[in-house]
Amino acid sequence: MPEASKMKKPDVKVVLLGDMNVGKTSLLHRYTERRFKDTISTVGGAFFLKQWGPYNISIWDTAGREQFHGLGSMYCRGASAVILTYDVTNWQSLAELEERFLSLTDTAHHGCIYAVVGNKADLTDSKAQLSQDSDGVSEDQIQEEMTKPQVLSACPTPPASPASLSGMSLNKQVTREDAMAFYGRILRYKGLEEKGSLPAEKMCFETSAKTGYNVDTLFETLFDLVLPSILRNRNENLQSPTVDLEECRGAGSKRARSTCC
Amino acid sequence: MFPDPTEINDGDAADKEDPAESRLSDVAAQEQSLDAEPLSDQEKEQETEETENTERQNNDSTETADGGTEDAAVDHDQSDSGEFVVTVLAKAKLEEQGIGVKGRSSPLLEAGTQECPAFISHRDEDVTGDSWRQHRKHVFVLSEAGKPIYSRYGSEEALSSTMGVMMALVSFVQSGDNIIRSVYSEQHIVVFLQKGPLVLVCVSSSRQSEEQLRGELLYVYYQIISMLTQASISRIFEHKKNYDLRRLLAGSEKILDGLLNLVDSDPSFLLAAIHCLPLASSLRDSLSHILQKAITPNLVFSILVAKNQLLTIVQEKTVIEDTRLEPTDVHLLLNLIGASSAFQAGEIWTPICLPLFNPDCYFYAYISYLDPPECTVCLLLLSTDKEAFYAVAECKRKIEEAMVAQNSLSLIAKAQSYSVSQVGVSDLRHFMYKPFDVPDTYRQLTQFTSPEMEAPYSSEEEKMRLLDLYRFMHSRIHSTSRPLKLIYHVAERETLLAWVTSKFELYTCFSPLVTKACAITAITKLLRWIKKEEDRLFIRYPPKYSTTPNPSKSSRGGKSDQQDSTDNGFLSLL
Ligand SMILES: Nc1nc2c(ncn2[C@@H]2O[C@H](COP(=O)(O)OP(=O)(O)OP(=O)(O)O)[C@@H](O)[C@H]2O)c(=O)[nH]1
Ligand SMILES: [Mg+2]
Repeated sequence: MPEASKMKKPDVKVVLLGDMNVGKTSLLHRYTERRFKDTISTVGGAFFLKQWGPYNISIWDTAGREQFHGLGSMYCRGASAVILTYDVTNWQSLAELEERFLSLTDTAHHGCIYAVVGNKADLTDSKAQLSQDSDGVSEDQIQEEMTKPQVLSACPTPPASPASLSGMSLNKQVTREDAMAFYGRILRYKGLEEKGSLPAEKMCFETSAKTGYNVDTLFETLFDLVLPSILRNRNENLQSPTVDLEECRGAGSKRARSTCC
Repeated sequence: MFPDPTEINDGDAADKEDPAESRLSDVAAQEQSLDAEPLSDQEKEQETEETENTERQNNDSTETADGGTEDAAVDHDQSDSGEFVVTVLAKAKLEEQGIGVKGRSSPLLEAGTQECPAFISHRDEDVTGDSWRQHRKHVFVLSEAGKPIYSRYGSEEALSSTMGVMMALVSFVQSGDNIIRSVYSEQHIVVFLQKGPLVLVCVSSSRQSEEQLRGELLYVYYQIISMLTQASISRIFEHKKNYDLRRLLAGSEKILDGLLNLVDSDPSFLLAAIHCLPLASSLRDSLSHILQKAITPNLVFSILVAKNQLLTIVQEKTVIEDTRLEPTDVHLLLNLIGASSAFQAGEIWTPICLPLFNPDCYFYAYISYLDPPECTVCLLLLSTDKEAFYAVAECKRKIEEAMVAQNSLSLIAKAQSYSVSQVGVSDLRHFMYKPFDVPDTYRQLTQFTSPEMEAPYSSEEEKMRLLDLYRFMHSRIHSTSRPLKLIYHVAERETLLAWVTSKFELYTCFSPLVTKACAITAITKLLRWIKKEEDRLFIRYPPKYSTTPNPSKSSRGGKSDQQDSTDNGFLSLL
């Protein structure tokens, strides 16, 4: 029987946000199924439960399409971690995070942590082109044939251009520095002190769902970081077992939502 | 509402006849040109219901030629679909009729070229090796401003010129206070459908009737509505006439592609009826009962699907009193499930509009498979409350538990469509039976039943050929100019009989040498068999539940909180 039938209340909520086609579904799929396969653009949002040690982590893989914009704040309600995903080969995908997705996180938990994730690093960085988990390698090779190569994915080794010497190839449109600067702006948007918050170096990731590069690191770092949040939720639940962590939170978050955009 | 439609027809046929007629004569005139297909002399005799097995030779040549024509069409289309449409239209001798395609289209062509989206070229041109029949039917959606919205096949360049020509036609005819409905050429029909700010065009060599093709375009329109709602589409275009709707539909192409593939391969669409999986009525009842018990406020429909066929459907009481679920809405839902199930492990929560139920309002659909990793049994719960995900997911938990307790999944796994041999009528190869009043309760879901397609219809080609024959019979029966009650059609490789009464619509396929008397006896037996099996073949009494303390919330067009969510928030992004 699927474990879902015996589902306990999720302890914590993690949400994947980002423009369509950046690879949110692929990242989650890589992490949970250890595979990279062709995807279909997500409709609405898809809810997953991940067992993390003794804890139940719920993960929302949301659709990046504008069509589903209005649901974003619902998916984010009470979230403890938000993964803001962009595509390293697409500058616009980072811009969209700021323009379209950041405001959706207004409904998140006040202690919510944010990760900025540049996916498809295999297209730009040589170190991300090596498959990380051995069990998926052969399958990846097959899958590779089936997925439409974006730009350089057919190229097994990085081109020996000066750009690749610095670990970056020509089609990289977003640098890690850009992402870190964006992380700084997230903190400012949230009214958080840079000092008291998690540092940008720690919260900005470059990943490849295709090769698995940094994918486990991303999720596991986040899960570790939301642990305090889990324990706090569990405590609250012990004190008042009827409290639903998904419940609409106070008016504070609503006010914040209406002031933005 | 509209002035008389303009009918543009191929040269000589254009003058006085109505569309169906002119097409008939059009084709009849070409009989010697190999692709006359089933529309031969023969059918004139069929109308008398007394057909001899004549015209064999004629049929023979048509059927073999058919495959050949299709191959040729594929090659042709791949070269350049824009040019292809231009050619089709040119063949229809438009210029001679003073339409002046070329003069009108050039500015539009240019306008189209600059703005072709990147994603169209990224689209998978060929889905799963079915390429042999892929191009027999093109479908295009464009906005009134001539912006391309969707194309079933075709590269960027081809798309822009195609849309350009189409818009030229549409707007030219419009400028004469007319509406273009169709263009006939030797091998193709171009059918136009205007719905609000959208123009849908089908270019087909499938030999389906214009009405059938327009019906298919309507499905495409409804599928778009199911994603965006009619209200928000109108508002978008009121707001900005040349809005690029692809922004909102990007990513949905696969849903439309999937729909069009289903339309071609699943007779449910032709019959506008639901195909449910045959199931012992006790099992179906117990499943319904399980659904009936797992409810939460604002839940309005609970639907269980296996192998893409309906197992059962339970509706909220006030909803069912108000209206019934239309087959079209169910088809769109099933298509959505099919197209969104690539990543089947999760529980999906997505807004969806049921266009025939209420084109302006969203439901929230919870979609989850109950039997991972096989993922054949799918639960669909529809709520009117956007925030109800966790409550609805809890219903799934309950349903899952009850199904475990009753061992339902393994019983469902055993359920199968049936073989025509179970009917016990020799010579009967296949049939489709659509009753007009399944049970005595009123407003039942329209359903049909049909056995598996077995030899000689096991290959994709043969299945398609049989479906094409059915489509042909259907178009003859439902011909607007000369509707028929009974058609007895002797083809080369089979004999078909279609029959419509006030109680049912029936299509049967027999081996070629069956006599008419035999066929009639067989049908009598078949009807008797269906009567005996109907509890298993159909969903008989749709159960209900009550979840709404406040009925206005769930009923059709409830004006309360759904209304403000019709745009799903995306209008704020315009
Ligand atoms: N080269 C490469 N391609 C990737 C990677 N991740 C995803 N893709 C491809 O990018 C496309 C989109 O991936 P998805 O995971 O569906 O994107 P998404 O963010 O879930 O998109 P939406 O569901 O529409 O919001 C697919 O064709 C993937 O194969 C990656 O790490 N490297
Ligand atoms: Mg996705």
